[in-house]
Amino acid sequence: MTYIGAEVIISPLGSTASDNWNALSANRSGITLAEKAGYNQEDIYLSQIAGISVDKRFEYLVGKALTSVEKHIDGDVIRSERTIVILSSTKGALDTDVTDQFGSCVTNLIAGFHLANAPLVISNACISGVLAINAAGNFINEKLYDHAIVIGCDVISKFVLYGFQSLFAISDKPCTPFDAARNGITLGEGCGVVVVSSERNIYKKTPLKLLAGTSANDANHISGPSRTGEGLVRSVTKTLQNNKIDPSEIDFISAHGTATVFNDEMEAIAFDRTGLSQVPMNSFKGYFGHTLGAAGVIETAASMQMIRNEMLVKSLGCSQSGTSKSVNIIAENRKASLKTVLKTASGFGGGNASLIIRNL
Amino acid sequence: MSFITAYCHLNQEYCAVNGGIISRRDKQAQDPWFKQIYKEQEFAYPKFHKMDTLAQAGFLGSELIKRAAPALLTDYNDDEVALIFANSASSADTDLRFIRSYEQNGSPSPSLFVYTLPNIVLGELAILNKWYGENMFAVLPKFVPDFFLNYTQILLSGGSKAALCGWLEILGDRIDAFLFLIEKEASHAMEFSRENLESLIATGPVTQ
Repeated sequence: MTYIGAEVIISPLGSTASDNWNALSANRSGITLAEKAGYNQEDIYLSQIAGISVDKRFEYLVGKALTSVEKHIDGDVIRSERTIVILSSTKGALDTDVTDQFGSCVTNLIAGFHLANAPLVISNACISGVLAINAAGNFINEKLYDHAIVIGCDVISKFVLYGFQSLFAISDKPCTPFDAARNGITLGEGCGVVVVSSERNIYKKTPLKLLAGTSANDANHISGPSRTGEGLVRSVTKTLQNNKIDPSEIDFISAHGTATVFNDEMEAIAFDRTGLSQVPMNSFKGYFGHTLGAAGVIETAASMQMIRNEMLVKSLGCSQSGTSKSVNIIAENRKASLKTVLKTASGFGGGNASLIIRNL
Repeated sequence: MSFITAYCHLNQEYCAVNGGIISRRDKQAQDPWFKQIYKEQEFAYPKFHKMDTLAQAGFLGSELIKRAAPALLTDYNDDEVALIFANSASSADTDLRFIRSYEQNGSPSPSLFVYTLPNIVLGELAILNKWYGENMFAVLPKFVPDFFLNYTQILLSGGSKAALCGWLEILGDRIDAFLFLIEKEASHAMEFSRENLESLIATGPVTQ
């Protein structure tokens, strides 16, 4: 069996999973208005972490997250030869050095935490986080390692904000996933960690079970979602089949839900095609913004908190459903015993990925 | 066991398939080096001209591998070919161009921005070949055979039957691309091992 636990979330909502849970369960968002942040000095809604005074924000957050996760697992795991650290990110330390987005951060992590193996950096746009957790599960299942510490991190930069502005993809209000009036993403920053392991006893708190999933490309467009949801359908179908899970067993879906018109429409079509449109679903983007390469890890960690706290958390920002195929968006928080949870992600480059978390 | 059934080297000087040089850079040529290969090899995929250099390198390498191993197009279902790529510079070459677009040239360029992710090349290869399989792009300090060996082993023990792998390093004048095809079954092919991979990347083409 492959376990997953020891989750950490660092976001504008707090620096621990429980701080973040307190905010999520109170439906509090990290999104605020950043004055004159845009390319033309426009005010832009962002989910930004305040109070980081260091220059190397990416490296700082990754280091802080790894220090934090040490408290939740057996102290020897981080330095073990049987452990790999997997770092999931789109742009890493781009704001520090464009031509060295990951190299020095990785070197400093090895030295600072006495890592036995070089960390693996996975950079596959917005599916990076889910792909990284799946990679962790695969490494454990193939017995290449016994433990994998998956860290997802991205920080907000002018580069990424101006880029999404150039695509007219930034929402003029806090993003509203799956809402009829959604009109784009809100960028976020943060860092999430989960620890994947073959050994239950490394965790100080009871872990959950990871059913590693698959990825599939849309083979359609490099920056636009498929109209048919083909890649997401294939990824979800294979993830369910490989783990022998029937769609009726899924209790909750943590969707990608970026709040662009085309992404959310694509997801609704894909969930309809896979027989999952009745399953309670949310997007965490209304709370964290779109944290890009960190999103899959942060949102998996938040889903794990939902299982532990037995609560379905409202999808923030959706007041009127706005997709051609109906999906079961969670309108209000409610208590629920969650056994099996599906996490999906889709992104630029046509990538789609999915995984399943189960309560033990 | 699995096998290296075709491979392609591409650097500043030459392009080679299965160890034999097929094209040498003409420094006097007006065309950029990748366009020179594109023309010489009579490829016909107009989208090539819109791609960034990382995607162009992936296109050229994968098309040449397809010619050397035509079974790649006929022996596999549309979701059975995995793409496993890596480099150390991520998409920095295009990232720098995108920064210039808003710092010096008036406004952020959306057509550059969409290429500022290293995995976009995988999307281009998926679109061109209608491949719906697994994708993985890693950023590593240097070419690490174990990454390719381990991840190929993982995906070939799952639903993938072949893996098109590539090291694609493009930054400024530096071009260092090495693509290779891994298949589960092959006759007269090189075993997919650390030693063979290291020797292929270290020695380059055999016919100079």
